[in-house]
Amino acid sequence: MLGRGLKRKLSDYEENMAGLSSAFDSSRSLPYPLKRQLVLNMCLTKLQTYKMLVEPNLHRSVLIANTVRQIQEEMRQESSQQPVSICPGIAPAAHSYTGMESPGIPLQLPSGVGQQESHCCDLRSAEDPIENSLLIVSDDDMSSAISSILKDLDFVEDISPPTCLVPTGDDQPKFPENTGLKLEDDRQDLKGAECVFGSFEISNSTSYLKDLAIDDIFEDIDTSMYDSDFCCPPLTPPRSPSLATEEPLKTFPSCNSSSANNIQICRTDLSELDHIMEILVGS
Amino acid sequence: VARAGGDGGGNNEVQWCFLQVKGAIDEDVAEADIISTVEFNYTGDLLATGDKGGRVVIFQREQETKSRPLCRGEYNVYSTFQSHEPEFDYLKSLEIEEKINKIRWLPQQNAAHFLLSTNDKTIKLWKISERDKRAEGYNLKDEDGRLREPFRVTELRVPTLKPMDLMVEASPRRTFANAHTYHINSISVNSDYATYLSADDLRINLWHLEVTNRSFNIVDIKPANMEELTEVITAAEFHPHHCNVFVYSSSKGTIRLCDMRSAALCDQHSKFFEEPEDPSSRSFFSEIISSISDVKFSHSGRYMMTRDYLSVKVWDLNMENKPVETYQVHEYLRSKLCSLYENDCIFDKFECCWNGSDSTIMTGSYNNFFRTFERGSRRDATLEASRESSKPRAVLKPRKVCTSGKRKKDEITVDSLDFNKKILHTAWHPMENIIAVAATNNLYLFQEKVN
Repeated sequence: MLGRGLKRKLSDYEENMAGLSSAFDSSRSLPYPLKRQLVLNMCLTKLQTYKMLVEPNLHRSVLIANTVRQIQEEMRQESSQQPVSICPGIAPAAHSYTGMESPGIPLQLPSGVGQQESHCCDLRSAEDPIENSLLIVSDDDMSSAISSILKDLDFVEDISPPTCLVPTGDDQPKFPENTGLKLEDDRQDLKGAECVFGSFEISNSTSYLKDLAIDDIFEDIDTSMYDSDFCCPPLTPPRSPSLATEEPLKTFPSCNSSSANNIQICRTDLSELDHIMEILVGS
Repeated sequence: VARAGGDGGGNNEVQWCFLQVKGAIDEDVAEADIISTVEFNYTGDLLATGDKGGRVVIFQREQETKSRPLCRGEYNVYSTFQSHEPEFDYLKSLEIEEKINKIRWLPQQNAAHFLLSTNDKTIKLWKISERDKRAEGYNLKDEDGRLREPFRVTELRVPTLKPMDLMVEASPRRTFANAHTYHINSISVNSDYATYLSADDLRINLWHLEVTNRSFNIVDIKPANMEELTEVITAAEFHPHHCNVFVYSSSKGTIRLCDMRSAALCDQHSKFFEEPEDPSSRSFFSEIISSISDVKFSHSGRYMMTRDYLSVKVWDLNMENKPVETYQVHEYLRSKLCSLYENDCIFDKFECCWNGSDSTIMTGSYNNFFRTFERGSRRDATLEASRESSKPRAVLKPRKVCTSGKRKKDEITVDSLDFNKKILHTAWHPMENIIAVAATNNLYLFQEKVN
């Protein structure tokens, strides 16, 4: 699916990564924020890779997500201590964002959110441009990335829910200690953001379909009937009928338009990654 | 801590010598041949291995005979069978790996042997039985099985049992399926010999060995909202003597002990074991390396041992706030964590085991090294499972990893360790000093040197 050019870039990236991680291990002079950013990038890359797997490893995903949350928390605490209230925002222009964001989330935010963020970003871009490019993974993006990964893991339907002697009445999460997850404030923003993003995700489906551009698979198929008001039985091939019936039809029209963006974003991600690597290695 | 009588003859350190190696010698390792679990049975006469291809191979210890005194206790193949096949879940478009995650023996109750083997989703009970007699002299059919003409049957005879070449048959007796949404990581037979537990990332189920269409969920840590998930179950085991007690470990380095008498759903633990974090060694990878990959009760039932990425810890069940002993397996890797995270080695799940008297513990490492720790004397050894040191009765030389600048002769530097040669699975004979070490696709057997 990836073109040869992209594959080559990916292996270059991997080599760079290996070099960077040994630099992390051996060098004492690497500044802490840079180390942290490196780890964060590795985490998000891994999560991104797992998203593309049919069945991501739950254990690893949780460990990596926790590491991201921990770093996120640290960065949030640091930024809250800074005099200028920086909203590490989503860069308005594609060229200056890190490409570490979850590929499932398109760049085009609803105008209200985007404008608010870009305002803050302009403030920051006046400062050190290199640091700027390093630290631009927004809280929201990281939280969304984590949420989206974990939500994906829940695509594994519980077809055999546990047989209990005692009904589990409480809906509370079983582990009360969610200390790393102080996303209270973020949740407000996140809820708003996610309501928008929610419709872009094919929830509850097989992952291998999720990140493929629907348009690309069905290029040959005349999809005009699905755009019409008249129909429609859900798109059955190649998905099994039982899955299709669970899928509310309304997700499809919105998917068609955004999924093309997803692939574009994937490719942009990788070239942005390259760009960042060049900066890191160059410095 | 009172030490149960050591097997090494008092204060002498155990010396290991090579006994056997099983498996192909080729450099090219077939993925399916990679050993994924090793387990001795209760007497130590049988040793079972499972591999990624879903096969189980059982070795049996040869009886010592006067005519072959030097072949003391060699293990030879007793039975081989395909336990699990790859499956395709059409509903979710997922392949279910046939890799055997765990094998657990049942205690022997009659002539046949029983074991449980599991892959990610399904547990099977296998019966391994011997057939060394055959009935001959049937009335209605010939020796080759053809039906005899009725008019040729002129007299009635009683079939007699005649000896035949030993045949070992493995047959699946029970299949325990469809109870796990997530991947099964552990199974554990209860001391009542009637029930067992199976654990996946988020749930633990209790089964009766006779009943396959129903299991009881005894632990469920799945949050209502998956986005709130921060911890998974990594291993679980029943207490060796108290049939109502079991423990399970988590990805956050904690162990919960549960009592099934207190509640049907054991989400509330009876004891919670966690060592407070050492702030001086905190890093980005602290949580990942604290994830427990294995938990094993001691034979006595008084202690349990946990394995995390860099260490093995022994816990006294009566002390929840810290382990009573901590052993560093490969502390020199602490400064390499970023590289090990990058190449995913940091997620390797090492197992650990006790010797029969609980005086020594063993676990694996990289470069085909494995480590033994004598609890009383605090002596530890690093040994290597390699073809080079595989001459009959050759004594294993201790290995050493060079951690600082100057490398001495015979030492190996951290950077030249082969991280693809990992020893994840080891087993110790329940009564004698015989150990089985799985090195990728080879199974090494070592025995205590006897003078």
